[in-house]
Amino acid sequence: MIYEKENRYIIPFDDVPSPRAEMPEISVDERRGNFVEVETGFPENMSVQEAKRCLSCRRCLGCALCWAECEPEAIDFSIPDEELDLEFDDVIITKGQDNAFYPIDSKLGFGSYADVITDIQFERMLSPTGPTDGMVVSPLDGEIPKRMAIVQGNPDSEDDQILSSLILGVNESIIALDRTKELEVVLISPINQAFKEQFLSEAEQVSGLKMAGGAPDSVERKAEGKPLILHYTENSQQKDEPFDLIVILTKPRISSEIESLSRRLEKSVQ
Amino acid sequence: MQDKKVLIVGGGIDGVNAALEKAEAGAQVTIMEKFPTLGAERIPRDRLIQPDDAFVNPDLNKVRNHDSIQVLTYSKIKKVSRDNGKVTAHILKQSLRVDNSKCNDCKACIKVCPVNMFDDFDESLSFRTAVDYFNPATGEYNIFKEDMPVCQQACPVNLDIRTYVGQIADGKHLDSLATIRDRLPLPGSIGRVCPHPCETACNRQYIDEPISICFLKRYVADVELNKEIEPVYETPEKKLPEKIAIIGAGPAGLTCAYHLARQGYENITIYETLPVPGGYLWVGIPEYRLPKKLLQREVDLIANMGIEIQYNKRIGKDVSFEDLKKNNDAVFIGAGCHLGLKLRVPGEDEYEGKGIVDCVTFLRDQALGNPIDTKGKLIVIGGGNAAIDSARVGWRMGFDEVYILYRRTKKEMPANPWEIDAAEHEGVIIQYLAAPVEILGKDGRVSGMKCIKMELGEPDASGRRRPVPIEGSEYVIDAETIVPALSQAANLEFLGEDHGLDINRWNTFDIDEETGATNIQGVFAGGDVVTGPDIAIRAVAAGKKAAEGIHEYLRSK
Repeated sequence: MIYEKENRYIIPFDDVPSPRAEMPEISVDERRGNFVEVETGFPENMSVQEAKRCLSCRRCLGCALCWAECEPEAIDFSIPDEELDLEFDDVIITKGQDNAFYPIDSKLGFGSYADVITDIQFERMLSPTGPTDGMVVSPLDGEIPKRMAIVQGNPDSEDDQILSSLILGVNESIIALDRTKELEVVLISPINQAFKEQFLSEAEQVSGLKMAGGAPDSVERKAEGKPLILHYTENSQQKDEPFDLIVILTKPRISSEIESLSRRLEKSVQ
Repeated sequence: MQDKKVLIVGGGIDGVNAALEKAEAGAQVTIMEKFPTLGAERIPRDRLIQPDDAFVNPDLNKVRNHDSIQVLTYSKIKKVSRDNGKVTAHILKQSLRVDNSKCNDCKACIKVCPVNMFDDFDESLSFRTAVDYFNPATGEYNIFKEDMPVCQQACPVNLDIRTYVGQIADGKHLDSLATIRDRLPLPGSIGRVCPHPCETACNRQYIDEPISICFLKRYVADVELNKEIEPVYETPEKKLPEKIAIIGAGPAGLTCAYHLARQGYENITIYETLPVPGGYLWVGIPEYRLPKKLLQREVDLIANMGIEIQYNKRIGKDVSFEDLKKNNDAVFIGAGCHLGLKLRVPGEDEYEGKGIVDCVTFLRDQALGNPIDTKGKLIVIGGGNAAIDSARVGWRMGFDEVYILYRRTKKEMPANPWEIDAAEHEGVIIQYLAAPVEILGKDGRVSGMKCIKMELGEPDASGRRRPVPIEGSEYVIDAETIVPALSQAANLEFLGEDHGLDINRWNTFDIDEETGATNIQGVFAGGDVVTGPDIAIRAVAAGKKAAEGIHEYLRSK
């Protein structure tokens, strides 16, 4: 059980797994012909025991270990929040750093497979200040991918959205190919007229990048330890190919708080 | 103009560039961002790049050191209004809890911090400790303290679960209840019926099983009940005079009234069509899941704050919506979804009321003690919680046999799995992969139903596999009562004509998500009447949000 030592709660690891309390019920025979409450509630000892299973996972727990370790005494829990009343002649509302996006078709496996990530996550991975110092690795196993796909998550989007996500996809491919030996990238997305006219020939010259028109259908992993299988349509042909990493091009969305602010101030988001 | 003051909302690259541009043009600029630092480098989306010139860096140093730019990071707008072209904003700048002018970046704090959390700046691709720098480009440290644990984040009203569960562990049961009531005035009721999204999020599941959070909430509510303690919900001494009308005494309306009363409003009236409070909690959730006595007590505690509840008052009939609007300073619509949808099969209209009863009416009649003929067999059609509730109610009332017909399999059933198990346990016969074809009748009454067997085909838009009828597999079940339990819809007839409110294609209101405001000044809405049929705790959250929205609206009027 959890115990206290010098004002700190200690959870001995051996004791951690303990089953969840089961709600006591009246028997089925007692239920017919009446509306007596079925679940009778936890008794006190059961409730306290169950409550003690809680791991108290807040972000900062206020344990003050960092404060104790900080030599220059920079950490100060008593620095207060500030409240400011300000007046402005004008307001400009921008998207901020929220990076919200429209929901992605669950068939593409985002959220189910660790090696399916979004274009925004991939952008962060490619950044020199990012979690891998800019190296391309699979979040599943840390391996460097040999084949990756960048796929359009919203093939029915309006023209300028398709255009900007295609450009982002090609740019991310350029960086990834520059950083990774023997990488092959397939970009699967409807290619619209604007992209064809301005960027396609340049994109096709990027060595290691294959521009495939069409759209992704679904992603699956047949067995653990195996690469992802991407089912997609190219030139109305059904294809199934293995990939080590799949990046989904998302459609950016304005967060609800920014949208609400924009409505209240009657100012559009820039 | 020399001294023009400009607020830039959003510290991403667009915001940073706009700030620099305006400041160079001579304006006094304030740039505000909700995260602890300004934005990261980005890859261009309008031109192709070279590998060695891939990222565009916002000039953070220039912004931070510019004389005419004030940087407010980790900040949010608490209140904003616009008057005569001027915008006034009340901004909360949260503390970083680290004095970065003293920090020498030795990382000793990171080594000892026991917290492991997703790094938002890295789009959750990596982890950080609670104390760390947010943006590596600025190296500015912060401590994430005020953010919520996963359970609290998953809870629609953001109940402080960690605190109230901790209080139970310490044996402080009534303190725990007080913590819950700070946000939720119906702990005993919600503690019985909630499908608990908090438990779905609970981190304990990665060790063994999630904490039984919902039942712990019920436990502390029961402690007070069993000890016969009658608490008084405090209201402030300073009263506020504005009149507020609330349509519907369901979870949304009651919560809205509760939070308004806690602000000091003393002229709050709830108009309720039914003779009982609680909305769907009373007439939709059966007694064996939520005893009426307990619900009544929780409502009484709210009403004792000086809130008037007028029962049997139907808006649009006893009082017009127009008059309600005219005679009150603000109106909250929490009317719920009390229309049961139809099956649309032959025979349905013919036997309406002669053996065919939609689930909303069926459950309501039982809850209000209206007579129900329980002769013979009962068929319930549908796979949601209302279907399970109707079947379990029918079984208790004494129907000879109770069937549920659902066109997909148990796996796809939207009802809570533990409710499905309980129904099967009690002897309800669930026929999966079956759908109604025609209602059969004899002598002007329902005598049975023709059904057809289904199989699962290709996935549809919702990602669930679409059920397809198997040709020639029709069969008949004899039954005297048939209860369609497909879904519910809002009935907005009470608004009358020319109400001017924006109503979307689902026949629900479009509202401002942050405040609950509709397109008409002073009219707010929330709960099922906005979301469609949904769980009670989300209606509670909507009622609370609207109370805050109404308070802000009335105080700035």
